[in-house]
Amino acid sequence: MKKLLLILMLALAPLSLLAQSALAAGDGPSKDMLKGVITQVNAAERTIVFQKDDTKEFITLVMGEKMLPEDMKMNQKVLINLDKHAATANTMKDISIMFIDMSVSKLLALLVIGAVGGLLSGFIGSGGAFVMTPAMMSLGVPGAVAVASNMCHKFPKAMVGAYKRWKYGQADIKLGLVMASTAVIGVQIGIKIQKYILNQFGGAGSNLYISAVFMVVLVFVGGYVFYDAWKLAKGGGKETVSKLAIAMQKINLPPMMHFKTAKVTISAWITIPVGLLTGMLAATIAVGGFVGVPGMIYVIGASAMVASATELIIAFVMGAWGSVQWGLSGLIDIRLALLLLATSLIGVQLGALGTTYVKDYIIKVVMATTMLIVAVSRGVKIPGYLIDLDLMSPISANTLALLEGISFWSLVLALGSAALIIIVAMVKGMTADRHSKRALAGVSNG
Amino acid sequence: MTITTFDKNMSAVAFAEAGEHDTARQILGANATKQHSKSPAPAVKRKPYLKTIIFGAMSISAYVLLFTNEKLVTEIFTMGGWRWVYPVGAAFFFSFIHGAFASNLLSAIGLEAKK
Repeated sequence: MKKLLLILMLALAPLSLLAQSALAAGDGPSKDMLKGVITQVNAAERTIVFQKDDTKEFITLVMGEKMLPEDMKMNQKVLINLDKHAATANTMKDISIMFIDMSVSKLLALLVIGAVGGLLSGFIGSGGAFVMTPAMMSLGVPGAVAVASNMCHKFPKAMVGAYKRWKYGQADIKLGLVMASTAVIGVQIGIKIQKYILNQFGGAGSNLYISAVFMVVLVFVGGYVFYDAWKLAKGGGKETVSKLAIAMQKINLPPMMHFKTAKVTISAWITIPVGLLTGMLAATIAVGGFVGVPGMIYVIGASAMVASATELIIAFVMGAWGSVQWGLSGLIDIRLALLLLATSLIGVQLGALGTTYVKDYIIKVVMATTMLIVAVSRGVKIPGYLIDLDLMSPISANTLALLEGISFWSLVLALGSAALIIIVAMVKGMTADRHSKRALAGVSNG
Repeated sequence: MTITTFDKNMSAVAFAEAGEHDTARQILGANATKQHSKSPAPAVKRKPYLKTIIFGAMSISAYVLLFTNEKLVTEIFTMGGWRWVYPVGAAFFFSFIHGAFASNLLSAIGLEAKK
């Protein structure tokens, strides 16, 4: 079985490539982005000669209004975004150096976020992505490279976590693969919607849409999970299958599927929308797990333990598929991915073994806490986007800076508090386990 | 009042200390007899120190090799097209050796999943 699982997982990487060509649209970078090296800068004419990385052809680009000739770094790989709305063709909107210089503080920062993200991921099935991408960007990594490198670190982490939790008998491989295959299609739909909004309402409209979706999903789903966890904690932690899931399991619409580990028999027509929504959300807010795990718990009827473990399988498939996409465009900074992996592979296994010591509802508590605090971080950004769209009168720069600060620190708080709950619950569980083992050993020896 | 496993174990200990071994076993029920029949004393599992060191050394050398050739690696890995196999392959490779190191490290420091 171990071998079978390995073969299955290895086979999924090339398979994801097929899925990509079949669907003919990916979540890769935008077409207006150029990757290459500046070979000449003409300060007087405000132009540069740029060699494109893929075709090796030389093109002349015009600097945007606010750009300075000093910013045009030569002989280094750079990413250039073109301004589609500029009067002259080939005008640059912004330029960023592709590979940041790795200082000790940046290295340590990556190791720390890797460890916490890994711990969360191993425990609740997802997590980390919502903070890793912004964190990398604040270290100076261009957005596209941050997304790509995060993706490339996510799938090996999810693979190791999924393997561990499968060994503990928690991951349902069949449910994971069924969900993942529909989620891949969901991603495509999500991207289509995103592109439509971007074309209709521009960048600020798109940002507002993402934040609004983020808020609504996180507050409603997170709030419900929290309420459920609170009820369970009061009632002694005995988990019951939700009424909705029981009703769904009664629908006898072929093909019916049986999921052994999840102990569920349900129509494929119920799992499809859950998978699609997971994918759509992953394409919109980059954390599909926030709807995938609650979906598997409350709609399909799996336990929180099985749902969070199964989410790791979905994350692996989607991460591997996404990494191939970003790898095709050559945007993965492998150094960032591997530094995150250095600690997250330890974190994810610690989180996974932690689940064996805690009651099922603790997973819900951690998940809900994270979701609700992350909702705050996105919510405070909404006024800024509303101002950009002229839907709200401008507020002072100080207030905006304060909101930015709240947004960043609430992300840190979300990760920190989740890690704290996990560690406390794990230590408590381990101590209780040790006590009972010691008592048992005392009896058999005495 | 419900009796927890812990309470049960503690009362078994009390009987065992008083020399009432049979009563103690009875309180613990099937668990104790099962363990008894297997082996009189639970075998101490050896910790995987050697494996941790071997995988750790492999992982560190791979990291050092990659970071000392930083410029070359980032250049080749970001060429795009079929070269996607480099970053994805490297991520797989590191997840196997570094993942094995991490797994053995956790066992070596005594962090194991509940049986």
